[in-house]
Amino acid sequence: MESASVSFPARLEPGEKPVTHDHHGPPEANRSSRVDAQFLGMLLFIISEIMLFGAFFTAYFFIRGVANEAWPAEGTHLPVAVAGVNTAILISSSFTMHWALESAKNENRAGLRAGLLTTFLLGATFLAIQVNEYVHIGFAPGDHAQGSIFYGLTGLHGAHVFVGLTLLLFATVRAFRGHFTPKDHRGVEVPGIYWHFVDIMWILVYASIYVL
Amino acid sequence: MTMTARLTAPGWYRAALSVLAGALFAFGLVVLVRALYGYEPLVDGEAITTVALISMGVAFLLGIGCFDYWFRWASGAPTVPDDHSGHGARSWRDYFRVNTDHKVIGIQYIVTTFVFFVLGGLMAMLIRAELAAPGTQFVDPNTYNGLFSVHASLMIFLFIIPVFAGIANYVIPLMIGAPDMAFPRLNALSFWMLPVAGVMMTASFLAPGGAFATGWTAYAPLSTEMPVGQTFFTIAVQFAGASSIATALNFLVTIITMRAPGLTFFRMPLLVWANFTTSLLVVIATPFIAGSQFLVLFDRALGTHFFNPGGGGDVVMYQHIFWFYSHPAVYIMMLPGFGIVSEVISANARKPVFGYRMMAFSLVAIVILGFTVWAHHMFVSGMFSWLRVPMMITTMLIAVPTGIKIFSWLATLWRGVIHLTTPMLFALGFITMFTLGGISGIVLAILPVVIHVSDTYFVVAHIHYVLFGGSVFTIFAGLYFWFPKMTGRMYDETLGKIHFWLSFVFFNLTFGPMHFVGIDGMPRRVADYADQFASLNAIISVSSFLFGLSFLIFLYNMVTSWRNGPRAAANPWRAHTLEWQVSSPPPLFNFDDIPTVVGGPYEYGVPGAVHGVFKDREKEPVPAGTSGVAHE
Repeated sequence: MESASVSFPARLEPGEKPVTHDHHGPPEANRSSRVDAQFLGMLLFIISEIMLFGAFFTAYFFIRGVANEAWPAEGTHLPVAVAGVNTAILISSSFTMHWALESAKNENRAGLRAGLLTTFLLGATFLAIQVNEYVHIGFAPGDHAQGSIFYGLTGLHGAHVFVGLTLLLFATVRAFRGHFTPKDHRGVEVPGIYWHFVDIMWILVYASIYVL
Repeated sequence: MTMTARLTAPGWYRAALSVLAGALFAFGLVVLVRALYGYEPLVDGEAITTVALISMGVAFLLGIGCFDYWFRWASGAPTVPDDHSGHGARSWRDYFRVNTDHKVIGIQYIVTTFVFFVLGGLMAMLIRAELAAPGTQFVDPNTYNGLFSVHASLMIFLFIIPVFAGIANYVIPLMIGAPDMAFPRLNALSFWMLPVAGVMMTASFLAPGGAFATGWTAYAPLSTEMPVGQTFFTIAVQFAGASSIATALNFLVTIITMRAPGLTFFRMPLLVWANFTTSLLVVIATPFIAGSQFLVLFDRALGTHFFNPGGGGDVVMYQHIFWFYSHPAVYIMMLPGFGIVSEVISANARKPVFGYRMMAFSLVAIVILGFTVWAHHMFVSGMFSWLRVPMMITTMLIAVPTGIKIFSWLATLWRGVIHLTTPMLFALGFITMFTLGGISGIVLAILPVVIHVSDTYFVVAHIHYVLFGGSVFTIFAGLYFWFPKMTGRMYDETLGKIHFWLSFVFFNLTFGPMHFVGIDGMPRRVADYADQFASLNAIISVSSFLFGLSFLIFLYNMVTSWRNGPRAAANPWRAHTLEWQVSSPPPLFNFDDIPTVVGGPYEYGVPGAVHGVFKDREKEPVPAGTSGVAHE
């Protein structure tokens, strides 16, 4: 790797400006799309996340559809109503998230803080109810394949709620420390998109695990 | 610097400390959880290893400093986004720290992946030494199984996929007239996840029970019942996969949002198109291998029953999930090479790429069709029998867009002024070898044939014709082609040509005869074989050693040329694309002013045609009539 040190002195072509390496900022990149880079990055990440859920749903399909196991496993039942209340909690948090973003756009600092905080607390409540359900559901992931995929899908979703909560925590902390303006609210918007994705994904998980 | 400062500043000292902390964390967590659940004994080696592999990998990334900026940002503390202190390399030391310059990251990628290429190659040499004669020579069957498994995993996850990302990292921002990638810090994180994955896979040889020995496919239930070495694979793949997804996302955003003015999609060089389509494949498909390995990990560590038919699970399900990634993955390992070859052939034949638009569309067609062929790896697995014939048909269909590309390259060469430089030789070698590998692929798509040659050396021959004769030849072509741009030096052309001819001849002598022993029924992935295959295997082994030695010429050429080679001009190939219009190596932020693109990238032979113009350059450019469209 010694030789790497030769990689810097650049030979200049005629008509080219000499390049100085001291604190020389980059030229502004041309913007070839109206789409914001962070926004696009989050969308692509969500596509990737959907596919990860797709892999787990494939397992669900094979266990429930191809192997034709009883659902839920014999002698167990799933708390459909409690999970339904939990679904309502998570969906309402999407609305408070939207409220937070609109407040940021309208320079309503109190609304921004309250919205983010409420969203965070609703998400945390969802996660707590989920953990409580695990404790009382009466079967373990190692009991049967139905248990494996139940914990697999809800656990994967729970992990995403956790990631979403972490992102929301960053946004909340920053909101309380005075960040975000009507012009610069990307730090609320991008975690918000992720949060909406987590909510919509829960509807699919809830429908296939509990309802169907 | 005091020791305390060293241990708190991002870098190797802090990384070492945090890796240690990661190991202690794993130990503590496992003991604590086992104590809470009342399990005996409290210290469980396999559980600690599983947690430690995750925690130590993450701890390394934390320690080396991949997350420092983000932590400041997340806590709302003032950040220093515009000082660029982590950007660019002034000495070789800057290549060993978290760096946000896409050119530094590109070289970090390439050098790191070549380290693992050498490691994987040495394992191949050991495999051939063992197979030089029937019976047991050097290694016992279990070690042999570990050798071919780690060989394949390193070559796929730590060489071919990331080395293409490395080349693209260096070249793509330059090609599209951007100062850097869209997310430079994510780019750095993507790189640093790679050595974690590579070290983990290699270290599996140290695990009790030996390295993972399931092949790189890690089929369940073999992988769920392997000794702890398998966990090293399961977790390393997560790091390599996350790295891959993050880079692909970065490429997509960069290509969509940061192209120079005038650089429409149909004026982009085909390498940019190739990486655009590859990145789509990565973002969509890679989560499936992550999913498959998560499920294996759960079966191993938590005792779930995903792949245990006794508990209601399904074994074939593993193969469906795995191949839904791993078939698109063969295009992830090939499409960037297609892009490299288009650049090299066009510049060295001094002709526009024939059928530019069809070249771009065929890449998109491969992306779409690539998702419809996965089960052709499972013809003998006992999957749904109705899936067989549709998969056979789609597999044959996907040869059509690939064929379009082959014929377009041939038509580009037709009546060109061909310069047989080293990159051009490798590109031509690629066309011939990849065509052979592609044709054996069609043979393998035919159901009655594949049932006969499944799991034989015919498959080994096919995979090496497409991955070595195909992908690795394009990697060599690309490295020779952009070596002057990356290092500012010229490589030795004579040594380059010797390297090509030796590898071309011995490549064929190594993998050609494997077709014959395969059709005769020699099974792959077995350390021993019947005496009737002895003479051909002896030939294969001797050729493979000479093939391995030919790589040393490449290594010598690269190292000595990088140190002492003659200075390279900005544009030694007289190519038109933007990366050749800046100095070699390029300035810190690539362009002092962003160029404007006025024509297609390959207007060779059109008098005065240029691809991009710079404001402050004196020469008065003549815009190339139209884009590459005119040459369909």
